[in-house]
Order: sequence, then structure tokens, then C-alpha cells
Amino acid sequence: MSIERAGQPSIHAVALAGISALLLLVAAMLPVDAPLLALFACPLRAATGLPCLGCGCTHAFQFAVRGQLVAAVSSSPLGTALALASAGHAGWTALRLAGFPYAPKIGAGVRTRWACALALAANWIFVAVRNHP
Amino acid sequence: MAAPVSRRRTTPGSPGCLAEVAIAQSPRKRLFRPIRLLLDVLESAVLARCPSCHSTFSTEQTGRQLCPACAKPLVVPEPPPAPLGAPAAELLSEPSGTPWERRKELGFWTAWGQTLQQALLEPGRLFASARLDKGAAQLGFAVLTTSMFWAAGQIVEGLLLRGQTERMRRLFATLSQNPDVAPMLQRVLEMQSQASSTGAVVALAALTPAFTFVMLYLNAGVTHAVAALLGQAKRGFPATFAACAYASAPLVLLAVPACGSIVGVVWLIFLTGIGMKVTHRISTGGAAAAVLAPYLVLCCVTFLAMGALAVALRNAMGRP
Repeated sequence: MSIERAGQPSIHAVALAGISALLLLVAAMLPVDAPLLALFACPLRAATGLPCLGCGCTHAFQFAVRGQLVAAVSSSPLGTALALASAGHAGWTALRLAGFPYAPKIGAGVRTRWACALALAANWIFVAVRNHP
Repeated sequence: MAAPVSRRRTTPGSPGCLAEVAIAQSPRKRLFRPIRLLLDVLESAVLARCPSCHSTFSTEQTGRQLCPACAKPLVVPEPPPAPLGAPAAELLSEPSGTPWERRKELGFWTAWGQTLQQALLEPGRLFASARLDKGAAQLGFAVLTTSMFWAAGQIVEGLLLRGQTERMRRLFATLSQNPDVAPMLQRVLEMQSQASSTGAVVALAALTPAFTFVMLYLNAGVTHAVAALLGQAKRGFPATFAACAYASAPLVLLAVPACGSIVGVVWLIFLTGIGMKVTHRISTGGAAAAVLAPYLVLCCVTFLAMGALAVALRNAMGRP
């Protein structure tokens, strides 16, 4: 990843920043002990006892917006990373709208892609082991 | 006047890709200067790829200008060719734009109708003509089409189900007390059993543009993330967004009660695959993998969810 000069953010960047801010706002407004947001208890977990990739992401968002990063990572590292990325993107886009002329550029080379795939797998293993009875 | 784009020198090994864009001078010197106008005008618009940030942008002019993405100066070449030693880049023939992207010349409803028709019947042609710098227009088409027919579907279903409201209320009340149903679904069912008034249906219909906006970006984001993970996101998020936006055309079927939504979503997935193939210029297999991978997970979850719902319904009915 590198930081490069950039013009005004695109409409997609602004829209995604708005949605990121909305997600964080909802996570901040939602009590941590609120009932499950999913319409069903996780079917994969119900059927196999194993969590799915998205299990714990809601709690990770809720803890992350409250600054409790350890609890957030404990719930779901993937959810924590998404929450931080959402906050980072929303904040950076706001700065760019205000005239800040730089933007991060993320390369998607083979190594990056493999690292992402391995990180997803590691996240799933962590959540599965963490929540194993 | 310059020669037409098709007569320009092509990049070796890339048929149809024309040669070079070059950096003109130090970025620091030219960063805040206005774009200098042209030494030349092309006969048609072209896509130029910036040699610095590799983003693709549209221009109808040759000569010195700033990259709209990274603001670095570059030169879109004209005959005679750019100076030797300048970084090479591709020039690609610019699509003319979909009917919706040309709605100012075609008229609003004519453009919308033609775009819808092409999306449903000639998707390859539509996606090939989509311009990646028209994200706002594509967003408008998707939000207009989906929310209009989604809202209509909600109102039609509300009218059609009016006679069955009491029966539905009893079923929802029974389901909401079932322990097999997650708490959130119980609350939704309770709300559903209470909110069947005309006002609630109209309010829900009014919120559909916001729902559509969020769902469109989430769909495009997930699809693009998977495509990037698989190495299939060749032309950036705008290409994925164009595919997802025009692929929402079959959601006009949301206005058809009951089966319309199922057919519409299956058609949407199919069109998204075609769109990814054309807009990213990737293989059929790559497009299918990029589009279907997230849906495979969703399909698995949906299948299990349907099973859970069936168990809940069976228990609610008191059957063994």
C-alpha cells in the first residue's frame, strides 16, 4: 500500500464512505447486549456446531466503535478489520472532500491476494476455536 | 485534425489497445495549474490509462492534461508520437455509452426503456457500451429501476394480501412465540403481524430507494472483493459497479407478486456474471467464479435457513 496524490474522491468512494459511516452509526446506537440481528440463529452453526465466516462481526463492530478493540478482535478479527477499514475510509474520504490531496493505493498482487485468503482462513479458525464449547 | 483512433499505432500483443500516454513534466510544477487545452482533438472519445496510477479515464482530447484520479500531469499522444523514453500506456477505444448514459439526447423514458430492453435481451451489448466514468448515471438507473418496481410490488402484495390479513396475523403470532425462531425474527414477525396497515406499506415503499442504494453498494463491494481475491478485478471498482448496476434491471420483476422476486434475483446473478466478463474483460470462468463464490456461501446459508424455517413452521403447526 502506498500514499499517492489524488484528486477529489469518486462518487463510489463517497457512497461507500456514507455506507461505512451508516454501519458504524448503527453499531454505535445498538446496545451490545441487543438480541441477535440475524433473522435466524446462524444455520451453519446450528447444523454443524461451527461458526460461519461472518459470525461475530456484529459484536466486533459494536465493540470497535466503543474503542474496545481487544473485545472486538476476540469476537471477530475480520469484523474488527472491516470496522477499522470502514472508519478509515469514511474519515479519509471526508478529508479528501475537504481538499486533502492524497489517497492510499492498495495493490492487489498475487502475494496480497494469498495473504487475504490466508487471513480469512485464520480468522475462521480463530472464531471456531474461540467459540468452541 | 488527428487521425481516427482506429488508425493509431497499436500496442504489441494487445490488439485494439493503442499506444502511449506520457508524463509531461514534474508533478510539483503542474499540480495546481489548470488543464492546458489541447493541441489536438480526436474524432471520438478514448480511454487513457495513466502511467502513474494506472487508473483509466475518458478524454476526448489529446495533449497535456492532468489525470483526474491522481492529478499527475500526462500527455495523451497525438501524431507525431510522444517523446521517446516516456512511460507507455494503453489507449482503448471508448464505448459510446448505454442508452441511459445518453438519456439527454434520447429522452429520459426512451433511454430507460432501451437500457432495460438491452439489459434483459442483449446484455453483452449493453455492458460493452457502458462507460466507467458514468457511475452516477449507473447508480441512478439501478436505484430508479429497483426501487420503483420494489415499491410497486410491496403495494400490490399489500392489496392482494388484504383479504388474508387476519390469517397471516394468526400465523405470525404463533411463529413469534416459537423458540426455534431467532429473537430478531420473532420481533420481525410481531411487527409484521401489527404493521399491515396501508400507511405502513406506503412508508416501507418510500424507504426502498435507500434500501436499494445500500444493497447495490454492498453487492458491488462483496462481488468486487471476491473478484479481487481471485485476481479477476482487472479494471477496478467502477467496472464491477457498472456490472452490478445494470444487472439490477431484472428486478423489475419485483412488481410481480410471489415468484417475481425469485426469478428476478436469479436473472440478476446471471446478468452480473455477463457484466463482470464484459466490463473487466475477463474469461467466462473467471466471471462465473467471481460472481458465484459469494452466492455459494449465501446459497448454503439460505438453504440451511429454509430448513430452519421449515422446522419452525412444522413445530408451529403442531405436526411431528
